[in-house]
Amino acid sequence: MSSARRPAPSESPKQADEGEPYPDPDTPVIRLEDVSVTYPGGVEALRGIDLTIGDGEFVVIVGLSGAGKSTLLRVLNGLVPATSGSVVVDGTEVVGASAATLRQVRSRIGMIFQTFNLVNRTSVLNNVLMGRLSVVPAWRSTLGLWPAEDREAAMAALERVGIVDKAYVRASNLSGGQQQRVGIARALAQEPGLMLADEPVAALDPVTSRQVMGDLQKINRELGITTLVNLHFLDLAKEYGRRLIGLRDGEMIFDGDIADVDDDTFRDIYGRSITDEDLLAMGDSPTDGSEGG
Amino acid sequence: MTAATQRPAPPRWTGERRGAIGVVLLVAMVWSISGLDVTLDRLLGAPSDAWAILRQMIPPAFARVAARGAVGKVFESVYIAWIGTVIGALLSLPLAFMAAHNVAPIWIRVPIRQLFNAIRAVPELILAVILIPITGLGPWAGTLAIGIHSIGTLGKWATESIESIDSGPIEAVESTGGRWVSSMRWAVFPQVMSTISSYWLFRFEINVRASAVLGMIGAGGVGSELVSHLVFRDFPAASAVLALTVGVVLTIDTVSAAVRRRIITGGVGGDDSSRSAEALSDLTGINHR
Amino acid sequence: MTPTPGQSTRPERPRLRARTVGIAAALMAFSVFAAREVGFDPSTFWEVWSNPLWEKFWPIPWDWVFDSGNVLQPFVETFQIATISTILGCGLALPVSFAMSSLTTPNRPTYLVSRAVMNVVRAVPDLFWAKLMVTAIGIGAFAGAWALTIFSLAVMVKLFSETVDGADPGPLEAARAAGGRHAPSLRTGILPTVFPDYVAHALYVFELNVRASVVLGLVGAGGIGRVLEAQRQFFRFDRVLGMLVIIFVVVWVIEQVSVSLRKRLI
Repeated sequence: MSSARRPAPSESPKQADEGEPYPDPDTPVIRLEDVSVTYPGGVEALRGIDLTIGDGEFVVIVGLSGAGKSTLLRVLNGLVPATSGSVVVDGTEVVGASAATLRQVRSRIGMIFQTFNLVNRTSVLNNVLMGRLSVVPAWRSTLGLWPAEDREAAMAALERVGIVDKAYVRASNLSGGQQQRVGIARALAQEPGLMLADEPVAALDPVTSRQVMGDLQKINRELGITTLVNLHFLDLAKEYGRRLIGLRDGEMIFDGDIADVDDDTFRDIYGRSITDEDLLAMGDSPTDGSEGG
Repeated sequence: MTAATQRPAPPRWTGERRGAIGVVLLVAMVWSISGLDVTLDRLLGAPSDAWAILRQMIPPAFARVAARGAVGKVFESVYIAWIGTVIGALLSLPLAFMAAHNVAPIWIRVPIRQLFNAIRAVPELILAVILIPITGLGPWAGTLAIGIHSIGTLGKWATESIESIDSGPIEAVESTGGRWVSSMRWAVFPQVMSTISSYWLFRFEINVRASAVLGMIGAGGVGSELVSHLVFRDFPAASAVLALTVGVVLTIDTVSAAVRRRIITGGVGGDDSSRSAEALSDLTGINHR
Repeated sequence: MTPTPGQSTRPERPRLRARTVGIAAALMAFSVFAAREVGFDPSTFWEVWSNPLWEKFWPIPWDWVFDSGNVLQPFVETFQIATISTILGCGLALPVSFAMSSLTTPNRPTYLVSRAVMNVVRAVPDLFWAKLMVTAIGIGAFAGAWALTIFSLAVMVKLFSETVDGADPGPLEAARAAGGRHAPSLRTGILPTVFPDYVAHALYVFELNVRASVVLGLVGAGGIGRVLEAQRQFFRFDRVLGMLVIIFVVVWVIEQVSVSLRKRLI
């Protein structure tokens, strides 16, 4: 029951059998060639990265702070311009692209942030609607006159992450885990083909972290959205990742299947032995399984 | 032999510096008084002159002054201040978005910031003086003067508000592919509107005083009443006008301060008074449309 | 993700509160009414630009402006007024601010009286004071100095009492606990903490006073404003503009100096 078509968020989730090779690595969604990023202060955040990611993959990126994880995600949607090299996302070259092209590319990429980046003073629904900004005419969104189908898409996204009952609640009144779900809903509302998560659980407690990671995994499996996740906690990486990329000092040290990863691999990536801080504290396992109902 | 003296707070001024400052101040005082054509008998005579006038001011002649229409004039001052503030607020807001360094490029924000500074440097009275030959005497000159000056101050305060926001939501809008306008509307606007609208009210309080003053040169409002009474040395009437003005200013100040407080705190809780505060917060950008 | 019960039902869209609509409508109605009362006339915006009167502002007679008697001398007078007003006004503001703050007030009656009096003083528009002084004392810089002193007192009290309210009460408590009487306790327990802010505020007040004395002259209270008003009455707008330019430059310089001095204090 594999399907090459990507179901819309409002459709009921299709079940992926455990043994099915869902990702389609022959259709590259992301291709980086010799990408380097040097910040204005002289800091070299990325050095000569070569990377290919296929459609529907779930990739986890680990590395110390400052290794280049955030930079790597941000060159993909142009929030950080690459100093050299080529970044092709879904067939479009991002490096040197015009503002209009960038906006178009970004509309197909959903991004989730460590600090959620919600607008605290407004409702959850308004936050999710921000995901529709690229498809709604500017005058309509500025006046708040969202078309019905976009409101529907936003509501469906909220249903998918399971907090639609909070749609009209002020964002700041939600817990951290709920806020991150709003962030995920906002990204989903874009109906993206690619999801970038920059340390999405760093600010959350262990139980909530597992819930959020489970959500991301589900979205990847049921909707087939290619997902890249920056993670700080190595046990989470091993638990939820399928493919692991290790960065150290801006260079890619490791790129391979999660099954091939052991403690030595992590030690290489970190350049030191693993401490307790690199592991999420052992919490209860989540009540809703990652297997789908 | 140390002679360190214990002080309860971090010392910033040593003894000699304080002595030097004292001398400078004394010299400054002497110099400035010398230029004020103050003679001894003038100095001594001033308190008794002031006292004589003060005695004549009591009791204030409210009835006489009200009959002359002073109450209407006081209200006129309020209307001038209100419309002037509205003009200043509406025009300064879009400009402020183009002046903040975290949302506007340098080639547009520098000229606009300088525009704000230039406008702020010109007091309302001078503006009115310049405008009266063009608009003629009357409340419209005062309104324009206050409105234009308010663009400068409100613009500066709004710009500072915008520059102090959390940039995370802006990044979020950019990452969804939204344009600059949407970023302003959804990431910046909700964060700053409660602060900015409280600035608007604060400016209104100041503008009520300014409009009273503008009346003194004929730009509408109660100032002209005060001047004519003083010129004819009708002190009971003058004090009545003063009392009326002070009363209105104090009332507006109190109401405005209460409203501003509640706008800032966002109206938490459910009782009657804070619901009206929530209503105002709704108006300023947190609506659920 | 199976939606748990209660999460699959969408909530009702909240309707705009009647109160909100009511307040918005009231404000707009008031604005329309007030606009009519003041003679709102948008055509003025256009007329202002195209009025031939602007020609009278040009060219600027620089030789007249730089002739020392015309502009320099009155400016000196303006500075003198500003200086004495700042010193006297801010000096008085120190004890008054202490009386007005619950932290430092000697007793309750003083607290209440000082707050009430200052509220009234602040409610009187600044130039009303000027006109009152001119009437009482006569035209000239002397009246201006008195008016600005009261103005300085009002502004300084507002700024400084907020500082005092926010100050750390600890040292003051210690001074009192050691048996200090009122004034010495304040002097040792609070004054050193708030003094830098005091000086910073005083510099700001001086800046305001220089600007204010420009307009003081319009009511005859001396300084550069007197010359400005005289020239305006003779319709010599070109001289008026020249003076305004000089005033603008001087005020800007003072502002820069004041800002940098204040930065070093904080």
